[in-house]
Amino acid sequence: MSVVVIGLSHRSAPVELRERFAFAEDTIPGALKALRDHGIAEEAVILSTCNRVEIYTATLQPPEQAFTGLKKFLADHHAFEGALNSEVYTLTEPQSLHHLFKVASGLDSMVIGETEIFGQLKKAYDVAFQNKFTGAKLNKAFQRAFHVAKHIRTETNIQRGSVSVMSAAVELAEKIFSSLAEQEVLVIGAGETSEKTARALQSRGVKKIAVTNRSPERARTLADELGARALPFENWTSELERVDIAVSSTAAPHHILERAQLEPVLLRRKNRPLLLIDLAVPRDIEPAVNELENVYLYNVDDLQGIANDYLKLRHKEISRCEKIISEKVTALLTANKFPAGG
Amino acid sequence: MAWFTDRHCFLLAVLFYGAATVYSVFLWRKGFRRDDWINYFLLAAGVALHTLAITKRGISFHSCPVNNLYEATTFLLWALGLASLVYALLPKFKFICAFAAPVLFLVGIFALMPSLDPPHGLKPDFSNWQRSLHAATILQAYGAFGLAAVAAVMFLVEQRDLKLHKLRALLSFLPSIQRLEVITTRLVTVGFILLTIGLTVGWLLPRKAGASFFDDPKVLWSTLLWIAYLEALVAHKFFGRSARRFAIGVVVVFVLLLLTFGITNHFSALHN
Repeated sequence: MSVVVIGLSHRSAPVELRERFAFAEDTIPGALKALRDHGIAEEAVILSTCNRVEIYTATLQPPEQAFTGLKKFLADHHAFEGALNSEVYTLTEPQSLHHLFKVASGLDSMVIGETEIFGQLKKAYDVAFQNKFTGAKLNKAFQRAFHVAKHIRTETNIQRGSVSVMSAAVELAEKIFSSLAEQEVLVIGAGETSEKTARALQSRGVKKIAVTNRSPERARTLADELGARALPFENWTSELERVDIAVSSTAAPHHILERAQLEPVLLRRKNRPLLLIDLAVPRDIEPAVNELENVYLYNVDDLQGIANDYLKLRHKEISRCEKIISEKVTALLTANKFPAGG
Repeated sequence: MAWFTDRHCFLLAVLFYGAATVYSVFLWRKGFRRDDWINYFLLAAGVALHTLAITKRGISFHSCPVNNLYEATTFLLWALGLASLVYALLPKFKFICAFAAPVLFLVGIFALMPSLDPPHGLKPDFSNWQRSLHAATILQAYGAFGLAAVAAVMFLVEQRDLKLHKLRALLSFLPSIQRLEVITTRLVTVGFILLTIGLTVGWLLPRKAGASFFDDPKVLWSTLLWIAYLEALVAHKFFGRSARRFAIGVVVVFVLLLLTFGITNHFSALHN
């Protein structure tokens, strides 16, 4: 019995095709039963996310026969009448295990190193396990895959750092302040970018948020959504005396905060650090503000630069991760407890 | 094993501090990206041997071993090393060892100079409990100031990286600058309290007839240090001195302390 994989992912198929083959969560146990009933697989796990649809099976059939059966199953299950060619990939041992380990570690994800896939894979495995569609072969393979993913997370930098502007802003805040829960945030401009950054900060513990906008209605709407308070736009600069983080993304054609405005405010802040995140283009905050003591100003290019650097760092780690995965696959295949491939 | 003296123990401790210093250079060059324990264990091995060294000497005198410049320096370093190991157990503080190791190594080499440890009798003159308390609290205060200087350097490195938008600021496993500022302030406060106690106990100690505290360079130097740290704390806490300037002050005063520690001891009639 060997582990084989059939699937479509963001690498092989466009979203129109992937969504066509996606499995609804409640249909998965039935699909797994059908796979077994048709004699295609002894054990099976179905992973269905927005970026991939994959079926991992342990089968007694020769791989070519199993793949034919699996393709037919996919097409029949989703009432697909066209031909499936390069959009679908098929892998046999040891590549199938290598692929499973890569998926678990986030190496095959659209954003290299992302961790969401780990949870999705674990959930897919749990569904199959709870419904008794896994056995010695897939249990061992998946448990090892989760172990390898954790090992890679701790031993390499593949999952380190923020690869989006918003998460980079949050990470910066965590490098400046001891605890985000105690910091107050001022959101200037009620656009989508400000909202996302505010939500990212909330997700890391920020409790006090104030929103200001030229249009008071929009400020109130966003404030209500965030559970924050709305401020009149006319006197937001006075709030700088109190807040710790200010996120600005207005559509103003000029600077709305200049060094000369901020200097007297800083005197009243008693040396508390102030993080200014300027996400607007054209910029809202005069760059010279960063020269002031206790002020840390980051604009959208700075944050994008951080996100890009992190992404480069992750790409550099791929070869290290691949090496670890190859060693772990070899170790698994030579282990006595892993039933030999057929 | 009679040939294996406390000085041999201390020499081995300094070698471990040296190894930790070399390893720290690699950690620094890599931007403190790996949160590993190697430096911690190197430093811990050094502190263990260091503890053995001062214990051996303390047992031989039946008192706190702070009778000459060698002993005073090793005691100060021991307080600094031990405090570093304790602080390193706090989240994201492991790299305090990387900043403390060079100080321990360089001052350790200085302490090993034979002239700092002249032979004395089986039981030195300088050995009642008030004197031990005076010397021990002052040296522990210097240890706290040393650790504060280490935390201040960490603050300055990270603050500069954040100001200049360097990715290293995010990649490093260092704590937040706000936390480093709090730790530095607390350590300076603890050091200041210990120094105050040590100086007060010293003031109450009996002295030779005709000897004046105000003529003694060591006493004047210690008083100047006390004033310098008091000024730094008051200016930072109550007069708005920025965290960066406070950190620079803490580092500068501690470097001056290290540079002048031996000289003032040498010229002090009350301490020789």
